[in-house]
Amino acid sequence: MLKRFVSTQTFRRSLRSSGTYLSFLVFTFLVLLPVYWMTRSAFSSGSDLIKLPLVYFPPPTLKNVNTLYEQIPFDQYLLNSVKFSLFTTLLTLLVSFLAAYAFARIRFPGSNILMWALILSMALPEIGTIVPLYRILKTLKLLDSIAGLTFVMTSTLTPFTVWVLVTFIKQVPYEIEEAAILDGANLPQIFWYILLPVTIPGLVTMGLINFVNAWNNLLYPLSFTTSPSAKTLSVAITEVYAGFSPWGKPWELIMAVGVVMTIPIIGLVLITQRSIVRGLTGGAIK
Amino acid sequence: MDKIDFTSSKSGSLPSSKPYQKSSRASYKRYLIFTLLVAPAFLLRLSTAAYPILQTIYLSFKNLSVLKGTDEFIGFGNYIKMTTDFGVRNAFLFTITFVVATTLLDLLIGMVIALLLNSNFRGRLFARTINLIPWAIPTIVAGYVFRWLLDDQFGIIPFWIGQISGIHPVIFINPLASQITVILVHAWKDAPFMAIILLAGMQGIPGELYDAARVDGANAVQRFWKLTIPLVMPLTITMGLFRLVWSLGSFDLVYGLTFGGPGVATSVLALQVFREGILFFKFGFASAISVMLLVIVAIVGVLGLYMFRKSEVSY
Repeated sequence: MLKRFVSTQTFRRSLRSSGTYLSFLVFTFLVLLPVYWMTRSAFSSGSDLIKLPLVYFPPPTLKNVNTLYEQIPFDQYLLNSVKFSLFTTLLTLLVSFLAAYAFARIRFPGSNILMWALILSMALPEIGTIVPLYRILKTLKLLDSIAGLTFVMTSTLTPFTVWVLVTFIKQVPYEIEEAAILDGANLPQIFWYILLPVTIPGLVTMGLINFVNAWNNLLYPLSFTTSPSAKTLSVAITEVYAGFSPWGKPWELIMAVGVVMTIPIIGLVLITQRSIVRGLTGGAIK
Repeated sequence: MDKIDFTSSKSGSLPSSKPYQKSSRASYKRYLIFTLLVAPAFLLRLSTAAYPILQTIYLSFKNLSVLKGTDEFIGFGNYIKMTTDFGVRNAFLFTITFVVATTLLDLLIGMVIALLLNSNFRGRLFARTINLIPWAIPTIVAGYVFRWLLDDQFGIIPFWIGQISGIHPVIFINPLASQITVILVHAWKDAPFMAIILLAGMQGIPGELYDAARVDGANAVQRFWKLTIPLVMPLTITMGLFRLVWSLGSFDLVYGLTFGGPGVATSVLALQVFREGILFFKFGFASAISVMLLVIVAIVGVLGLYMFRKSEVSY
């Protein structure tokens, strides 16, 4: 009797674990198939992509990147993407850190309402502000400039960053700051010597997430740039897509831009995944 | 400095004791510091979110068009035009379908992935790692990759389907197939993100609860429905509504995958705003579409806030 019970138990367990492995395989396949397809196409010559039956592993070549350099100011787009993402990241961290400190440490009736007003403003869809923003940037002579893009993107990323950083700062025991204040430290000193070292993980996390968000952003560069001086890679890929080659869309070039846009980001994310997951869930989980 | 006390005149009528004055001055300073610290963030949000939204509402009552050179008040003219505009009507219907379908699908698939990532097996770390890839890939890139992956001639998925069934599907000329594709690709991109959130929620449930349930004789299915689901539910609702609101305003995926096509079958309101406003410079009409979008967001948002406040449970 006991023996039969044990055997059904193990049978069930092995059934469940094979179910787990099956779903693991399906999951892995579905996640990686587009990545494989993009990489395979990016490192292939255009003519290998239009062969039937399909060539799964065409002879690798780097000539698509060269073609891109001939057709568009690729370096400029890449540099713009890096500048836009980096400036946005740093500015967002600065602005958000200051606000988050105020919300975490200076409490009075109504301070919570102010904080939630700021955080909930992230629910406003950016597309709903696009026409007035276009006119504002035009008036400020910030249209078609990295500064203008950084300005609007920083504002977009600030609410979520504040939300997560408030949680991080609240975890730092206030007694250390209190002791520093009694010792006569001023606010910049408290920020620099006491809070910064302990909130570095939080800042790194939000820095990474904001970098990814800015790097991936399409709406603002697409709407507010008109020349290569400010266009980013996300705009570049739409331009390459719009270009026709003799046999239809130049998929090898589109995928090449895709790889250049994606590989650094995936690399960054995979190396720092723990930190990123903590940030993505930091606002939602207390 | 100590001798000039700004607070003393104010508190003169009150019983002036030293601690009171001190705390009053300190709180004045506190407000000042608070204001200075939050000022940059609020100025940014006021100038690039609050003010533009008001401006959008204002513009929606004008026929401002850069190319036509018109700029007059026309009352509800744009709104009346919107009800008969073929593109907007379609976009409205598809936006609603798209948002509801993707949110439910994201939550469902996200839950399945979260359960997978939460179970014990070799390769779990690998699965958790690659789970971040769809989130990290730029949406516009994902759009183009799937467009190419599903290409009727040289895409791998239609090719495989053709090999197995002999029928070669042509997706992007069929409105319904295109709509389903947009929804599924969105789930590919977003469900893993949901899974991250849900997984964190599951990990936050104390293990003792599961032990207790096990002792009481609950099996795995019962433990899932009676423990995991109710405890993760508040978080799920909150996240679901956040994503819902966020999805309402985004058009990157549609821009890359179908550009609203075939015809306007997969166009969403956000894409319509972009087209009318940024491509055709019809600022007035685009603003009216934006306002419609804002109204939908507000409805969802109020509903979300209500549920967010109700969702605080303890165990």
